[in-house]
Amino acid sequence: MAHEVETHHGSHPGSGVYIKIAIILAVLTAAEVAVFYLDITSWLMTMILLALALAKFVLVVGYFMHLKMDDRRFSLLFFFPLIVMVSLAVALMALFHNLTR
Amino acid sequence: MWAFLGSDTLFFGTLIATHLVYRGRGGGTQEEIFDILITTVSTFVLLMSSLAMVLALAGFQQGKIGAGRFWLAATALLGSVFIGFQMFEFAEFAIHGLTPRTNLFGSTFFIMTGFHGTHVAIGILWLWSLFFASFKGKIHQGNALEIEIAGLYWHFVDIVWIVIFGVVYLVGAYGVEDRVAEGAHSMARIIGLV
Repeated sequence: MAHEVETHHGSHPGSGVYIKIAIILAVLTAAEVAVFYLDITSWLMTMILLALALAKFVLVVGYFMHLKMDDRRFSLLFFFPLIVMVSLAVALMALFHNLTR
Repeated sequence: MWAFLGSDTLFFGTLIATHLVYRGRGGGTQEEIFDILITTVSTFVLLMSSLAMVLALAGFQQGKIGAGRFWLAATALLGSVFIGFQMFEFAEFAIHGLTPRTNLFGSTFFIMTGFHGTHVAIGILWLWSLFFASFKGKIHQGNALEIEIAGLYWHFVDIVWIVIFGVVYLVGAYGVEDRVAEGAHSMARIIGLV
């Protein structure tokens, strides 16, 4: 099983790439905090914050977790439950929004 | 490991969803006691621990065992710093009256972040076990997959915190989940689900 995984394994990026990714992650985090303190509408702030969080998420999953270069089956194993989870969260918020107010 | 991470995604998803659903109910929200700057620093620490983790993996994969060990220890230490920040934050919340027993916001918040902290703690123990195992020759270039699997777990813990920090601490402070809920409820009515 380990060998089978290895044959589907793409080459890992070098340390320089990882450091660049980390710098981008730090900048995105700083941007999130900067946006948080801006005087803008809550909807616009939400969209920007979610976009920044999504960018960080994609960078860590794609490069640090190496999913971008790995077998597509791993992506399926991870993203299918993620889609289920997000759908569940939105559905719960919609369902309980009126029922418990 | 990916299958496990998929299941853990569902686990944390339910905790985060439950917190978002109960936010604002059962006694009011406590966002005013969130210290965003402190949490930002702890978030940065956890992100840098992910960098240390990939550098540790690179070290072992390239046969640079000394460098690999160094970055493994750095990852564990940064994770411990993050735990320290969490404990400080929880203590501050308790001083300001927010505990798991205060209200629904408190109980869901502490369950969610508590489980995340537990995951971090388990990861730290795992990393130290790999660190000491490398001295006995049990972890080397030939079985760097062991480090990679631990790395997947550690990065997953990091991305869970990315979601919690963004959605709970930042977005949640403005009650926008109510707007999201209204929008989702409207869509559900339009397509006949409710």
